Amino acid sequence: MMKVKDLELKAASRPVGKAASGRLRWLVRDLKRDKALYLLLLPGLLLILVFKYIPMYGLVIAFKEYNIFSGVGASPWVGLLQFERLFRTPDFTKIFANTFIISFLKLAFGFPAAIVLSLLLNELRNMAFKRFTQTIVYLPHFISWVIFAGIITIFLNPVDGVVNFVLKAFGGQPINFLTEPSYFRPMLVVTDIYKEIGWGTIIYLAAMSGVDPHLYEAAIMDGANRFKQMWHITLPSIRPVIIILFILSLGNILEAGFMQIFLLYNPLVYDVADVIDTYVYRKGILESNYSLGAAAGIFKSVIALALIVLTNKIVKKTGNDGLW
Amino acid sequence: MIKNTPGEKIFIAVNYVFMIFVMMMMLYPFWYLFMYSISDPKLSATGGLFLKPSGFSLASYSLVFNNVSFLSGFRVSFIVTIAGTLMAVFFTATTAYAISKKRLRGGTFFTFIFLFTMLFNGGIVPSYLLVKDLHLLDSLWALILPNMLGAWNILVMRTFFAGIPEELEEAAKIDGASTLRIFFSIILPLSKAVLATIGLFVAVFYWNDFFSTILYITDKNKWALQAVLRDIVNNASSAMQSQGVSIGYQQTVSENTVKMASIVVATLPILIVYPFIQKYFAKGAMIGSVKG
Repeated sequence: MMKVKDLELKAASRPVGKAASGRLRWLVRDLKRDKALYLLLLPGLLLILVFKYIPMYGLVIAFKEYNIFSGVGASPWVGLLQFERLFRTPDFTKIFANTFIISFLKLAFGFPAAIVLSLLLNELRNMAFKRFTQTIVYLPHFISWVIFAGIITIFLNPVDGVVNFVLKAFGGQPINFLTEPSYFRPMLVVTDIYKEIGWGTIIYLAAMSGVDPHLYEAAIMDGANRFKQMWHITLPSIRPVIIILFILSLGNILEAGFMQIFLLYNPLVYDVADVIDTYVYRKGILESNYSLGAAAGIFKSVIALALIVLTNKIVKKTGNDGLW
Repeated sequence: MIKNTPGEKIFIAVNYVFMIFVMMMMLYPFWYLFMYSISDPKLSATGGLFLKPSGFSLASYSLVFNNVSFLSGFRVSFIVTIAGTLMAVFFTATTAYAISKKRLRGGTFFTFIFLFTMLFNGGIVPSYLLVKDLHLLDSLWALILPNMLGAWNILVMRTFFAGIPEELEEAAKIDGASTLRIFFSIILPLSKAVLATIGLFVAVFYWNDFFSTILYITDKNKWALQAVLRDIVNNASSAMQSQGVSIGYQQTVSENTVKMASIVVATLPILIVYPFIQKYFAKGAMIGSVKG
């Protein structure tokens, strides 16, 4: 009680006028009333500030010559030197192109694939069967890439792997998918779709279940068959969801699937598989080239952020709801 | 209901067949691993394992369960998963509850602070330096803390809490319950579905986490299971040798059967937990995603 009065007096003695003092009083009152809520918020806020925001601050080492002994703050500024180094790396164009191509391929094939699977799942009228199918197709999402990489290596083994077993049965030549550069990217795309397609349907199915049944009834009255219902009612109804997920995936376009590539690639396919994140890990962490690694990281994040902002703008220009 | 046309009937039939095919595709790798792991290595090495195991041998499993590094990895991942998940669910809930209250001053601002981390992050190198500066390298905390709170999980829970009728809390308040009391004895018990969902996501993340180990842990005794597993998968022969597997023993196990058995054992916890929590998460994930 004392404190509030003190603050009120202080506020009143200032020449800012009634509005400011009123606002301060409200603030103090709210802080007092909700101190339990602030208490609940505090640990989460601290964790996020420390583990998400301090690393953002740590990115300043991309503009410094980071020295382990002086730490982030005391290391000398070097301007854009690290970025120049990065862009001059002979491999840089290759890494950037790989990142973009791999992500683009995954988006081009994986994004529509999940929508198609959702539409087909949505057409299942037997609820028990539908739920069972969903449970099964979600499952691979929960298995680690380490395990998947193990499975993939075994399946694609040129000597006794299942895939080559089938190839040979049809009279083909065995292919070593993991060391053959021309097969490596398609392999990444296919295995990524395999693992994540089911999970990708969750949000679409949720959106589809929210479509007003009257719309379908009306469409049936007008003589629309299932395909027409899908095309004219289901798809337009989930368009906002599709757009939002598309913007978000564009923001991830430079992720390319670090774990998957890291676990499956090898020097034989570096030319087609090395991406920004794998490069950052090798240069930045393994070779302790922290500043260069951070510069590459910034480069990636900024492009991703720009892509999200840009797409959001375009989406809104075309009269749809964006992310914000 | 209007009757289906012949074209629609064909579509429905094809759709069901297609779904069964998809399910078989999704399940086949697991079946393959399992039958390979219990096959007799002399027979499986000749290839041709396709639908059923050839021969029968559990020798690979006995090797896995006697592999010191596998067991230590299993233990590390178990501790990290249990401790990490409990803390993550608790703090995600407290944070989400606070920002779900519209009356909270600065609530929008705090929500933005969380949201922004979904769009932009410091990346690998600064995160590594942070953990290093906190002297958490080679500590299990390095596997737990950096990934404990995710913005998406917080937002999912916030949406869920915001959907709980305000009247419930007001009634409790009239009865003299404090905010903390309301949170612990009314909100949390009502939120089992979303707590289970987020719990499953976080637990799976911790159980599957491989990158934190290679980034933060050099001491092999503190490696999480996935890192150990990768070692075994890449390098089964040396792992077997270091275990003192004699030439004679190699007649009953092969590199591949050991790999398969390790993968099966490492996957088992997820396969066991998954069916129980599955019914919750479909609901929970949808609540979070639709309203966003």
